Amino acid sequence: MSILEIKDLQMSFGGNHVLQGLNMTVPEHSVFGFVGRNGAGKTTTMKIVLGLLRPRSGIVTVCGEQVIYGATKTNRHVGFLPDVPEFYGYMRPKEYLRLCGEITGLSSGQIRAKSEELLELVGLGDVNRKISGFSRGMKQRLGIAQALLNEPRLLICDEPTSALDPIGRKQVLDILSAIRGKTTVVFSTHILSDVERICDHIAVLERGKLVLSGTLGEIQKEHRRNSFSIRFATDQDALEFSQSEELKELNINLELDERILTIVIEDHSIGGQGLIDLLSQKQIVPEKFEAMEPTLESLFTEVVR
Amino acid sequence: MNHYLVFLKKELVEHARTYKLLIMLVVFTIFGITNPLIAKLTPELLASFMPEGMSMTIPEPTALDSWAQFFKNTQQMGMIVLVLVFSGVLSSEISRGTLINLLTKGLSRQAVILAKYSAMLLVWSLSILLSAALTWVYTMYLFPKDHLGVGYLLFAISCMWLFGAFLLALLLSSATLVQGNYGSLLLTGLMVVLLMALNIIPSIKEYNPVSVASKTMELAAGKIDPSSVYTAVEITAVASLGLIALAVIVFRKKRL
Repeated sequence: MSILEIKDLQMSFGGNHVLQGLNMTVPEHSVFGFVGRNGAGKTTTMKIVLGLLRPRSGIVTVCGEQVIYGATKTNRHVGFLPDVPEFYGYMRPKEYLRLCGEITGLSSGQIRAKSEELLELVGLGDVNRKISGFSRGMKQRLGIAQALLNEPRLLICDEPTSALDPIGRKQVLDILSAIRGKTTVVFSTHILSDVERICDHIAVLERGKLVLSGTLGEIQKEHRRNSFSIRFATDQDALEFSQSEELKELNINLELDERILTIVIEDHSIGGQGLIDLLSQKQIVPEKFEAMEPTLESLFTEVVR
Repeated sequence: MNHYLVFLKKELVEHARTYKLLIMLVVFTIFGITNPLIAKLTPELLASFMPEGMSMTIPEPTALDSWAQFFKNTQQMGMIVLVLVFSGVLSSEISRGTLINLLTKGLSRQAVILAKYSAMLLVWSLSILLSAALTWVYTMYLFPKDHLGVGYLLFAISCMWLFGAFLLALLLSSATLVQGNYGSLLLTGLMVVLLMALNIIPSIKEYNPVSVASKTMELAAGKIDPSSVYTAVEITAVASLGLIALAVIVFRKKRL
């Protein structure tokens, strides 16, 4: 079942068309990476999902219920973490969670139990100072705790890691990774290594549309070129192999750099098996033979060009 | 729990911890103590500054002079402090984004406006009551022989309170209409200046909320009958409620 569905979403600010027919589906129990350049429309999309902005047209459904601007009914399924969460500096973490819990309608006992559990999860269990003295990373982690308070089925995080130092980033990613069993996580980012680390689904937003979407494996498979990299033990092996007649018969691109040979085969019916056969025929044992996977970075730069 | 009560509690905690309550109480305590004192000491101060050999007959100060100080201070400095202290109460939450988090949790926007207004009214009522009570006690101590009509005095103080309530409603609705902390302050200031300017026209005076505050001294002294400001009082009360209703409607549709 899909927990979030966006159909043909259009949005513009003034004459600037931010979203131009965005279609997106987020399956349940996934960690969904929502990738795009700065200003691509990620935050706008999230705000529409939360009912904070009115789209020009298009339908958004959360858990099968349509989102209506200004009304916050669907938000009972959703936890939201803004990019730079702002809290009341004069409150302590527990007081803030209590306020959130009372608004959501939890009982006093539930709030107490849930607050302790969540503050423990985000590593703020023994912090009892006022929020005004918090670092950005601590605020971000408190933000996760408040977003998870009502046990949402969908957690939306707007660039949760972009303002953090490496340690803070790791902590936030670890928390998001840890809750994946209970909650579907959608998080926007432009840090691709974060996506590779914890996401199973990704979608790339560019010029108001999705230009790439699916599971990480699917995308890599789809964009895999028939290319291989072979590292030879000696220069002689490399030369002998790269200049062999059999190789020239195939429709290929060759690139020899020192002892590393990169081969791109245009004809998809010929796989790596042919190369291995040729190697064995020539009695050459390479140091390394690798079928090259496209990296997320190379895919990203390719689609947003 | 009801959203209004939850948010009212949060507002009161905020006023207490961000020293808004403290500032209001301290300022109005100072007014309360100095009102009778200034009234008592003014003739002596004037006399001491008088050059040698010159004499001037200054009438003996009365309890009425003490209350004149009260109404003058509250109407001028008091109102300025009130508006400045609460100027950011909604606009800063909008610009900083602290409200977004709670609104996405289903907090009703109407509850935000009503709770904010109630909390401000509560602090304002407490402040003016404290100031009036101190003035009262101290005036009785310094001018034990003078007696004022308690009914007139209470009505005048209520009028002053109502004008403060009107200003707060104006401030809150301004914050929903314009962006930024200074925008709402500016709009409120402009509206007050406009109302004061309108007071020049005699036929409007009777209906102008400004009269509610400016006539308090004459009311307390019993120089004019309370019935002469009834129309203005009614208009001010209705206008305050109307402004709050406006704030609720605008805020519901406001893009945050």
